[in-house]
Amino acid sequence: MSLNVVKNATCTFCGCVCDDIELHADDERIVETKRACSLGESWFKNHTAERLYPDALIDGKPATVDEAVEAAADYLYQANMPLVYGLSNVTCEAQREAVSLAETIGGVIDSHTSL
Amino acid sequence: MTCTLGEVKNRADFIIYWGGNPAECHPRHFTKYTIMQKGKFVPNRKARTMVLVDIRETPSAKASDIFLQITPGKDFEVITTLRALVKGQRVNLDLVAETGLTIEQLQDLVDRMKKARFGVLFFGMGLSMTRGKHMNSAAVLALAAEMNAFTKFVAMPMRGHGNVTGADVVLRYTTGYPFGINMCRGYPRFNPGEFSTVDLLVRGDNDAALILGADPGATMPQPGIDHLARIPTIVLDPKVTHTSRLSRVHITTAATGISAPGTVYRMDEIPLPLRPPLKSPYPSDEEVIRRIHQAVAKRPGWRPTLNGKAMR
Ligand code: SF4
Repeated sequence: MSLNVVKNATCTFCGCVCDDIELHADDERIVETKRACSLGESWFKNHTAERLYPDALIDGKPATVDEAVEAAADYLYQANMPLVYGLSNVTCEAQREAVSLAETIGGVIDSHTSL
Repeated sequence: MTCTLGEVKNRADFIIYWGGNPAECHPRHFTKYTIMQKGKFVPNRKARTMVLVDIRETPSAKASDIFLQITPGKDFEVITTLRALVKGQRVNLDLVAETGLTIEQLQDLVDRMKKARFGVLFFGMGLSMTRGKHMNSAAVLALAAEMNAFTKFVAMPMRGHGNVTGADVVLRYTTGYPFGINMCRGYPRFNPGEFSTVDLLVRGDNDAALILGADPGATMPQPGIDHLARIPTIVLDPKVTHTSRLSRVHITTAATGISAPGTVYRMDEIPLPLRPPLKSPYPSDEEVIRRIHQAVAKRPGWRPTLNGKAMR
């Protein structure tokens, strides 16, 4: 099988955000992580593109993403003081979407920094 | 006062790590940005001095030239003493003794700091999460600022995993505040201790929660976790986490940087693009939040109510 080689990939495991990693990946998993440290290596190898989990869960039962999105929207819409929290392991693009959602639902938005 | 890690690499000849263990927590910090790098103006390891300040001898101590072990919880006192010595003021020797260091060690450190051409102080969670918390961070920043009367000196926090730095930056440029922002009134209000997550959850103020890119179910104090289990909690995560197990809704998303593209910030606030090698069968966090937002926006607009009637 031919490997997909990505040069200058970025590791987001720690705040160093090394952007000089060379990754070799097949269709489902990353097999080689050149220049990454041991933490980065296990981070990259720990995540695969396999379907290990259901698309979504509602009350612990498998559901479609559409249903889960509607359920989430209902809960957030009905809440008086919803909280949007985390934001550390997501991209800036997702963070911006989260800020705009928090504004619409009139909630609190917070990150790991406050801990 | 801060700078980029590129400047540190090329210029810093005096490096302090305070309350952090880069050898184990930021493994490539030494080799990529600080002591092990050849910089434009610092040719080799010998041209740099590295000081480690911590409460115990971690593996990082082996890499240091000077290791200063201080009494736990005395960071603020040490920094304040250093600030006094920098200005040549008298210090109380009894209080110095309580820090676990001698006045000679502290004076030596100050002399070296002043002699440096470019000094940098990296401070970690060991400083900002112990007794004193943000007062410690403020004191360190003041020390670095005051050092600029003598030489170039900067301070930089050693930020943790993922894109926490990005969260600060994005929240700052969208709302004007870095974290703990309340938009219940339709405009941002900032008050740490009142609107920070732990306080909100422990008090039981929130009546729904959306958790993304974090697993508070594994890290929060127990009363906070209990409250998350009581209210409708929604989790977006590449894995089914502790928090997912106590949530009403979990949506699996692609893993950032592995199968989801985007931008993240390095600890010195340099944005870097991601180059994900895999294609995920799941949608990205960005896409899911946008869809939730669209679904919320389809519902009638929110109006404040008084005694059950809409106000005008
Ligand atoms: S490769 Fe190692 S040092 Fe670099 S970002 Fe990843 S975990 Fe951090």
